[in-house]
Amino acid sequence: MQLKDKAKPAVRQIGTPLAAATCTLLGLGATGSVVAQELPPWDLDTSLLIYSESDGRVRDTSVTARARKEIREEKFLDLTLAIDSLTGASPSGAVPASTVQTFTSPSGNSQYTVGAGAQALDTSFLDTRTALGASWEMPIARLSLLSLGASLSDEYDYTHAGLNARFARDFNNRNTTLSFGLALANDTIDPVGGTPVPLTPMLGVGAGSNKRGGQSKDVTDFLLGVTQVLSRHTIVQLNYSLSQSDGYLSDPYKVLSVVDPVTGSPTAGPAGSGLYRYLFDSRPDAREKQSLYGLVKRDFNGDVLEASYRYMTDDWGVDSHTLELRYRWSFGERYLQPHVRFYQQTAADFYRTVLFDGTPLPVYATADHRLGEFDGLTIGLKYGQATARGGEWSARVEYYTQTGNPSPGAAVGALAGFDLYPDLNAVIAQFSYKFGRR
Amino acid sequence: MRLLSSLTLLIVLSTAVPTGEAAPPAGLGPVSGRVIWVDFWASWCVPCRRSFPWLNAMHRQYGPEGLQIIAVNLDKERALADGFLAEIPADFSVLFDPAGKLAKAFVVQAMPSSYLLAADGTVLASHFGFKTADAPEYERAIEDALAAARPKN
Amino acid sequence: MNASNLRRTVVAVGVALVVGGCAAVEPWDRDVLARPDMQIVSDPIEAATDEHIYFSKEASSGGQGFGGGGCGCN
Repeated sequence: MQLKDKAKPAVRQIGTPLAAATCTLLGLGATGSVVAQELPPWDLDTSLLIYSESDGRVRDTSVTARARKEIREEKFLDLTLAIDSLTGASPSGAVPASTVQTFTSPSGNSQYTVGAGAQALDTSFLDTRTALGASWEMPIARLSLLSLGASLSDEYDYTHAGLNARFARDFNNRNTTLSFGLALANDTIDPVGGTPVPLTPMLGVGAGSNKRGGQSKDVTDFLLGVTQVLSRHTIVQLNYSLSQSDGYLSDPYKVLSVVDPVTGSPTAGPAGSGLYRYLFDSRPDAREKQSLYGLVKRDFNGDVLEASYRYMTDDWGVDSHTLELRYRWSFGERYLQPHVRFYQQTAADFYRTVLFDGTPLPVYATADHRLGEFDGLTIGLKYGQATARGGEWSARVEYYTQTGNPSPGAAVGALAGFDLYPDLNAVIAQFSYKFGRR
Repeated sequence: MRLLSSLTLLIVLSTAVPTGEAAPPAGLGPVSGRVIWVDFWASWCVPCRRSFPWLNAMHRQYGPEGLQIIAVNLDKERALADGFLAEIPADFSVLFDPAGKLAKAFVVQAMPSSYLLAADGTVLASHFGFKTADAPEYERAIEDALAAARPKN
Repeated sequence: MNASNLRRTVVAVGVALVVGGCAAVEPWDRDVLARPDMQIVSDPIEAATDEHIYFSKEASSGGQGFGGGGCGCN
């Protein structure tokens, strides 16, 4: 046959005797036409993270394991487990004062004091969080993919349960992918000693008249994404996402100081409590967030540049910009990856440094710095290396800092002498190990 | 030489993509009654890894009856293909098409893609991807093609 | 940028990409895109860790996605 004869010179016969032996061993001999296909074993990724803020603030030690397996051909089960151990102190929202300040702990069982001029940190912060996730991913026809997942997490005072689904469909000879994602979650917060009624004052030890039981919120996330292959070396993604939260969105551990509008000094709290006046955090019971996210990934002869940008806006008045760059510099089986992240957000409309005595109370108010205006910067470096068994280990160290305005307009009287937005400085150290299959 | 033979195959097969349509007679010599399985693959393609043991089995079982398997490798670098073949040896013929000329001619839409041809270049069957679960179906197509190609007397 | 502008931009870009088709990359030319380091989310644990950290410390979260690119096999 002409076709066969002409093609012959370009054809190579490779390793025939060896292959024959292998086939026989696997029971794929000349008579066996059924190939007993064994699916690969579990892929296992593990990681140890240490997140540590300076000045004795939050410290989180976290262990994560992720296992993925092709259970049926092209159908994957993905399981994740994360355990976090949190210790340290968290800013309560109260501002420094020229005198010693006494606070009742969130449980209502004890009190702690903060020295004159010192940051008000709640040192009773201690928790362990266990999070579980599972997802099942399967093709639907040749060009579509469906993934269904569930997540659960539990801490001392907080539980989360969620369901998620995503669907992706390829177009354009698989150069374009449209994705839809939907996630539903229900979170419950149940602090020891109860959830404070928003804008009620902090009371003395044992007084719980302003505390209620556990509170919950529902969160619905929707995502629409387009992924486009631009060339053999470049891929881009654009996502629009909408997130709607309803329910209890305040932070039961945060307060606002009520100060004298002229002197900036703390004012007297409830009679007989011996406390200054601190009012509990109050946020709207609904929040709608929208974001636009763009990502570019480009290969440069084995190196990879990844650049992403996210714009977020919500109906609380927060707008944010996040720009991230990573460059993976490959040296054979090793790589070095610098990372930089710039973040900027505006304050929520109801963010207040303090509340002023004698002024009518707003409906919503928070002094939580996370809803204030600040800039964030992360600089990091990661090193990774392939293992002989086809796995990989990597280590990264990053430095994260938040900078706000230490002397906002509300810094009246004595407050002008204090840092009302102390910087947050944290180190992120993570070691990851991906087990090889060989 | 390799280029020449690839080109010949290309001429034979360039319009042979839709199932059941005969290739133009140009370039086709006398038919010896064989059936040809053309498999497009690359070292980076995961399902291709799965297809090779099955292709070896098909080669051993149906080779004596006249099945010829031609695996067309589409890696840009020959070393990558050689690495794959060292790991998963192929008993059948392997052809290298780094420029993707044959792949273009066949309008390959997935990796791997397979085409079952009659000796005259007619595409009898084709499929995209490789699923072990569908292997009996692929095998039936080979059996049918061989049965049809057997001399009748 | 307000909410409806945002939505309109996303829809317009999406339609342009799907209809326009861009310069298509052939299925056999996806060797680079098939590499683990070229996946949209190349390190899921690191991505989840960062998401958790920044969610805890900032007012923004989410937006990052999934899917697309890759080997494009089958």
